[in-house]
Amino acid sequence: MEEYAREPCPWRIVDDCGGAFTMGAIGGAVFQSIKGFRNAPIGINRRLLGSLAAVKERAPVVGGNFAVWGGLFSTIDCTMVHIRKKEDPWNSITSGALTGAILAVRNGAGAMVGSAVIGGVLLALIEGVGILFTRYSAEQFKPINPQMEDPSQLSQSGPFGNQQYQ
Amino acid sequence: MDHQNAGYLNVYGPPSASAQFPYSPRGNFAPVSPYLNFDPAYLAQSGPEWIFPEGASRQRGRFELAFSQIGGSVMTGALLGGFNGFYTGLKETAAAGHVGSVRRTQMLNYITKRGAGIGNTLGVIAVMYSSFGVIFSLVRGVDDELNTVSAATAAGLLYKSSAGLRRCAVGGALGFSLATAYCLWTGRDRLQQMFSPSPA
Repeated sequence: MEEYAREPCPWRIVDDCGGAFTMGAIGGAVFQSIKGFRNAPIGINRRLLGSLAAVKERAPVVGGNFAVWGGLFSTIDCTMVHIRKKEDPWNSITSGALTGAILAVRNGAGAMVGSAVIGGVLLALIEGVGILFTRYSAEQFKPINPQMEDPSQLSQSGPFGNQQYQ
Repeated sequence: MDHQNAGYLNVYGPPSASAQFPYSPRGNFAPVSPYLNFDPAYLAQSGPEWIFPEGASRQRGRFELAFSQIGGSVMTGALLGGFNGFYTGLKETAAAGHVGSVRRTQMLNYITKRGAGIGNTLGVIAVMYSSFGVIFSLVRGVDDELNTVSAATAAGLLYKSSAGLRRCAVGGALGFSLATAYCLWTGRDRLQQMFSPSPA
């Protein structure tokens, strides 16, 4: 992968939506091809055809569901960044929960609460793993015995004392 | 450096006018560090300047743009499909005589179904186009219009690959012509330069 930096905030929504769609479509294609292969009638030709039919039928739908999730999540995340003026794990967790709730809005209040809890816990897990990973990887860059330079020496020497021109 | 401070560092002589701006192209080179002692003519005076990491290309790669393109396609498709569904739903529910919550639910169904359908279609085509583009640019090592055209053709062929040879060819031709039109439009300045009689 090349140097891949995230876009600044309003454009991040488009970016995340596309990334989620790609992930869902490719993952859905792999999953549905296996499922279609297994569920088809006997005979390798029929199995391959069933696999293809399942991919054509379901993979775009899985991708679309992912895209809606990613786009809505990112929209709420950016809105919270704008309102709270800071980016922290709570933004992600809250927007995960809100996304779950909004997407279940047609299924009743109970489903909304359940979906919100799932979204929040999922995002909390992701953020927690990210923080742990950062902690562990930061550990190896810690200097073992740092030698601090004395800043008071810098101003005392004259123009010819230790003039080094870098 | 102002004149109060100038005496402190000035160990080579009285401050002159050129000592104020040590990067002068000629004359008094002495009072500054040899590392700063260069002719400013070497600095590019016009045009934007960037520092690229070693080996990096001068433009954003296809992979970097891919997700934005896919997301843009999905969102555009969802928006178009949503409007289409809204219009169709308004007509159909009026014709069927639905009122109240039945009409509202039916409208929502129309909007979400159409929006999701067109969004998914456009998104899948964009995924195919972007993956072909990334693969081609990785294999060839350069990123130019040929990649765009061939990726669009391949995406059209692949999208219609299971609908029969004829429709497959139609899909490929559609991708080819769209990409060619896009490339001609974005490269029109270069084409103009290429075909216009030289002014000299």
